[in-house]
Amino acid sequence: MAKKEIRDETGKRVHPYVPELCEQLRKGDCDRREFLRTATLLGVSSSAAYAMAGTILGEAPVKRAVAQETPKMGGTLRSAMRVQRMDDPATYDWAEMSNQTRAICEYMTVTGSDNVTRPYLAESWEASDDLKTWTFKLRRGIQWSNGDDFNADDVIHNFTRWLDPEVGSSNIGLFGGMIEQTADGGSRMRDGAIERVDDHTVRLHLSEAELAIPENLYNYPTIIVHRGFGVDYEADFASNPIGTGPYELSEFRVGEVCRLRKRGEYWGGEVFLDEIHYIDTGDDPSARVAALASGQVDHLYEVDISAIDLMERLPNAILHEAVTAQTGVARMRVSEPPFDNLKVRQAFVACMDHQKVLDIAYRGRGKIAENHHVSPIHPEYFQLPGMTRDVEKAKALLAEAGVQLPLRVKIDLGQAEAWHLGAMQEYKQQLEPAGIILDLNPLPGASYWDVWDKTPFGFTQWTHRPLGVMALNLGYKSGVPWNESGYSSAEFDAALAEASATLDVTERRAKMERVQKILQDDAVIAQPLWRSVFSATTDKVKGYELHPTFYHQFHKVWLDT
Amino acid sequence: MLIFITRRGATMVLTMIAVSMLLFAALEVNVENVAVKVLGPYSSQEQRQIWLENNGYFEPIYVRYATWLSNFVVGDFGESIRFRTDVADVLWPRLGNTAILAACVFAVVIPVSLLLGVLSGMREGSKLDRSISITSIVTTSIPEFASAPLLSAIFVFYLGLLPGTSGMASGFDPLQLILPALVLILYDFGYVARMTRASMAEVMTTNYIRTAVLKGLPYRRVIVRHALRNALIAPFTVIMLQINWLLSGVIVVEFFFAYKGFGALLLEASLNQDIYLIEACAMVAVFVAVMTQTLADIGYTYLNPRIRFS
Repeated sequence: MAKKEIRDETGKRVHPYVPELCEQLRKGDCDRREFLRTATLLGVSSSAAYAMAGTILGEAPVKRAVAQETPKMGGTLRSAMRVQRMDDPATYDWAEMSNQTRAICEYMTVTGSDNVTRPYLAESWEASDDLKTWTFKLRRGIQWSNGDDFNADDVIHNFTRWLDPEVGSSNIGLFGGMIEQTADGGSRMRDGAIERVDDHTVRLHLSEAELAIPENLYNYPTIIVHRGFGVDYEADFASNPIGTGPYELSEFRVGEVCRLRKRGEYWGGEVFLDEIHYIDTGDDPSARVAALASGQVDHLYEVDISAIDLMERLPNAILHEAVTAQTGVARMRVSEPPFDNLKVRQAFVACMDHQKVLDIAYRGRGKIAENHHVSPIHPEYFQLPGMTRDVEKAKALLAEAGVQLPLRVKIDLGQAEAWHLGAMQEYKQQLEPAGIILDLNPLPGASYWDVWDKTPFGFTQWTHRPLGVMALNLGYKSGVPWNESGYSSAEFDAALAEASATLDVTERRAKMERVQKILQDDAVIAQPLWRSVFSATTDKVKGYELHPTFYHQFHKVWLDT
Repeated sequence: MLIFITRRGATMVLTMIAVSMLLFAALEVNVENVAVKVLGPYSSQEQRQIWLENNGYFEPIYVRYATWLSNFVVGDFGESIRFRTDVADVLWPRLGNTAILAACVFAVVIPVSLLLGVLSGMREGSKLDRSISITSIVTTSIPEFASAPLLSAIFVFYLGLLPGTSGMASGFDPLQLILPALVLILYDFGYVARMTRASMAEVMTTNYIRTAVLKGLPYRRVIVRHALRNALIAPFTVIMLQINWLLSGVIVVEFFFAYKGFGALLLEASLNQDIYLIEACAMVAVFVAVMTQTLADIGYTYLNPRIRFS
């Protein structure tokens, strides 16, 4: 018998899982935040989801953060941030790059700082019951800055580029269900993976269930560019800054400045700032703080952990903090000696005192991690038994592996963040009692990215992702471009695929136990901590919230001048 | 003198050719590495091969070097990987910014340090000499990485008088030059003053100065007409060498104040492994080093008759 479709009062189909989700919220099996997140992912509008949650929990209608003051129009927001290349958004590998482009070009969806994903260029979406078919309805009436209408061809063009290995986009790891292997061992987008239903509707057909498609569409390299990008004109955004967003590029010099200027009508309503200026103050964190202190900028992209005390003491400055799933992992390349031996990897992991690394390298501002890259703030996190440092176990493992002590190993690490070196200095001391001598090889940030997926032992930073399965699909699934450790486990892949296809949070959490355990037991990473992140503004900047991934959402930011 | 200058010029050219060979060997022998740097780590093997072929990287190394050198001589430095534009478009403005900073520093350092050095050396051991010497030693002893945050703490955070960074994002602003220039002046003036003092003190002990004094010449005349010219020979050489230091040795200051100068550019080029930019920066730095050394030698020869006539 065919399932009866449920529709809301506007006649729109509601995903059949939504009533069950309501029941889970009622019983307390999922919390309010997870309810909002999943309901909106399944196509329920955020206002309806908030209302449902309020009704179920018997709360008074939630007062959303309403600005206490009337926003003022005009002004220039000056933000201290590294100004990087601005060529092909599909190949961006830093959030800063996407921020430069974010107010010019837009995404299909937008995930707020509350971890809830909402419609953006896509007006709404629906998932099939098996989560293998996703239908996106695109907003009508949006125009590109060159006068073209935004339509399904733009979206198809972007998916086609992302999934073309020649383009070199990391997005390929996010939409694995849309690609197929070729005879020569490469990959390509599967025929029929994306369907043009009509001018403003596209449908994705996945070979495997995928829960996080809307959230993946707000990953920083998934900016939707114009359909002519890389076809009718060169794939260089700085030369061809055609977008749907409220701002246009007025000046751009790598390493110096990126200026954005408000352009005429915007489909998304009023934006308050006339201009946004990104000013490159170099890599020295103290220069950024000095720039804010002397009124040269109004906003800092990031405040280093070493500068938070100073920032808190500065008059007229506001420190913003976000608890995140940002992390750093000492990852071992499983094909390279000595890490091709499981027991050696387990010995390395056994030596780590996570709390001590967190306290010393990051002043305790975060949470300890458990070597499986799923954070307690992820909804599907399963709490495994706690880990304690065990040097004797490490020695025994090394003896079983037949390793001659002392074992001398080098770790490469980038110096983009000062805490990386601190963390590894502490780890070096923790390894020594087991007979492991760790040589630290700090590299300039850019140089590290040349070796991050090749070096036998490297410390790599990973940004925040709203779901635990997202980072695992990007970095640990067999064969994906960002699988820096070369880890390949059919058992893990299968368990991860199963968890990724499970909508029910409680069920997914149960399935994550196996996923997390496999990764933890295979000792691919020694992961010390999850870190909080910080940024700062002057007190005249209003309406700003720090996003856990440093994504800038300045549409509702205004200046009280 | 003409022979001397010609000889020095030839040495300079030979030095630069030797450096260019070393530079080319260090950065461009591994052609695969060049392709990865230019096209990025995500480029495919096929893309790299096509790029290498199109850019003549399969030619013999001496042919490649000759082509590279000939392009270099006419100002074609290649395209910067980090800045995504011609190296020359980045290099010359940055060099100009450093020249502005260096000019400000010299405008203060040269008169102040020469004056203080001469005053100090004129009467060795006097109160004035001791005061100047101690001040010079203290300021020179504090490295830039210490004085920069100290001055920043005072003038930016505590007094709120000066801008904290010097990126000139909204156009040239003389106020933004003050702190980086001040750090360099404090570090450099003491050094030049000490050199001048030593030179002056040595001259003041020579027989001809004693004779001039005993002859009853006015003291001012002894200093200005007889002592000063010889006392300035050593500081002249030192000052010429400071040009080299101000070009590429001020990385710390430019980095700390986010000043968009040549030193910061060299650092950025190195951190980003921007091959063509590193090559251009290195060659410019070598050119300036060799050129200032040559000018120093010529000037020294001119100032010192003993060398000129020998």
